[in-house]
Amino acid sequence: MRDVSRQISVEPIEQESCLLIDTDGLNILLCNSGGIHYAIENRCTHQDSPLAGGRVRNGFISCPLHGVKFDLRTGEPRGDLARQPVQTYPVAEDDGSLSITLAE
Amino acid sequence: MSEKLAPGQARAPGHTYQEAILKDASEPPAPFLENSYEFLGDDDIPYTNYTSPEYAEAEMEKMWPRVWQMACRQEHIPEPGDYQVYDIGHLSAIVTRTESMQIKAYINACMHRGTALKSPGDNGYCASFRCPFHGWVYSLDGELIELPEDWDFPHVSRESHSLREILVDTWGGFVFVNFDTGAESLADFLGVLPEHFKEFNIEDRYIETQVCKRLPVNWKAAEEAFMEAYHVKETHAGGRDFSEPVTTYDVYPKNVNRFIHTVGSVNPRMPVPPTEQELMEALWGRRGPDAGDCPQVPEGATARDIYAGVVKQKLGQQYGQDFSHYSTAQTLDSIEYFVFPNFFIFPGLSLPMAYRFRPDPNNPDFSYFDLYFLRPRHPDKAPPPPPETVMLDVGDSYTKAEGLGFLGAVYDQDTDNMAAQTRGFKTCAKGGQTLGNYQEVRIRHLHQRIADYLDA
Repeated sequence: MRDVSRQISVEPIEQESCLLIDTDGLNILLCNSGGIHYAIENRCTHQDSPLAGGRVRNGFISCPLHGVKFDLRTGEPRGDLARQPVQTYPVAEDDGSLSITLAE
Repeated sequence: MSEKLAPGQARAPGHTYQEAILKDASEPPAPFLENSYEFLGDDDIPYTNYTSPEYAEAEMEKMWPRVWQMACRQEHIPEPGDYQVYDIGHLSAIVTRTESMQIKAYINACMHRGTALKSPGDNGYCASFRCPFHGWVYSLDGELIELPEDWDFPHVSRESHSLREILVDTWGGFVFVNFDTGAESLADFLGVLPEHFKEFNIEDRYIETQVCKRLPVNWKAAEEAFMEAYHVKETHAGGRDFSEPVTTYDVYPKNVNRFIHTVGSVNPRMPVPPTEQELMEALWGRRGPDAGDCPQVPEGATARDIYAGVVKQKLGQQYGQDFSHYSTAQTLDSIEYFVFPNFFIFPGLSLPMAYRFRPDPNNPDFSYFDLYFLRPRHPDKAPPPPPETVMLDVGDSYTKAEGLGFLGAVYDQDTDNMAAQTRGFKTCAKGGQTLGNYQEVRIRHLHQRIADYLDA
């Protein structure tokens, strides 16, 4: 079976912050909450606006437009504004360096 | 039963709470020694206060919009743009922190067509409040700052259509709101509470656990389950004789009442009292299987004082604070204050709880119980942010919520009575609850305060 995933390497970021990765045609948001890194698609499923700039806290990110919160572990939304989860990507941490696995 | 005493003057046989704590080695704070009981009557409380949709509507119309209510802790909104939604019945408020770090509260509805700006119970962050319907935008100060296609709204201005602000104030790290902009001050509303709490540093605590459970009972009956220790023997001790705690019940004008009951003392009704060492072993059993050997109580000392010393030292190490000045009563006893209409707080060192009860806006037979565990802040460590709220439905056990410890099973016992009470309210031929004059006076106080608003 052909391996259709690809990995990108990124540097760790500060706790309770997020960083947009938009090079190479990507639109990924790297988040760190409680020392754990997460990667999600930079698109709020409520009204398609970017999640970049949202506040990260307690394993959730709040969309800066209307405040919809997404669980960084599962992508699931909270509250009654959004129904669809945001896309999440696995992040592997090895000796201080990170790699995000993306599907092709 | 005594024929000689006036109603409300009778007390349980044996010593009072105040007499019990005067035997402690450490001097209790002065408010602990006060008696502020007042006989408030002995008529039955009509069941329709709980079951009638019309009564619930009257509460919603005449009481809830006019009283101070705990909306959140300050640590829920530490930075500009953080917000917390507080819902009470069909009313909803957004509590937020502005760029100048002020705390403000607004009615949670867009001034265009009324859309709620935030979801029920929501918390999070936004740079401004933007309506998801047509995109009207309000600053954190509540001002209307963006009006899409404003050519069509010559009749709308920043003055006329900014968010409606409601009253907000803080005490003890809690944020209170009042929907009535002409209401008395929070300080006046809280009465004796700040004075009684001045030795407890409630503002220096952080939220360790928060749980919201839906309960199968009217909000008042849910509160009442926590207002007396009369139920302890049957509900929590299987009817075991002499399990009644020694308790004081006090009512303060206008909105505060309390109970305080001893932990780890002799029940004066026991024909053969336990030894201090037996009391110590009972207290030590609370610490679980890893507690190590139970200390010996020296001759002339009491289990309460020895155990309080252990608790103060352990918690002092855990939270990096010196609790040596806490009295035995402050350290061990169950100290529960109530602020009308829906807020309870335990300032003691061993029991970390705060409660808030809210009605179900659509059904008087259900309510919501917000349960918080508050712990002392370590002076050298940043407190963790408030954890996400654990949501429990009617049938869920509290033991599912991490962090409640042995109290999870205790809350389950309390909740088990609630659905039965709701059913009984509707079939009981008597028409109302009969209350004990002393032990259940706080329940009567609650109903009398509600009546003050409904009859106004």
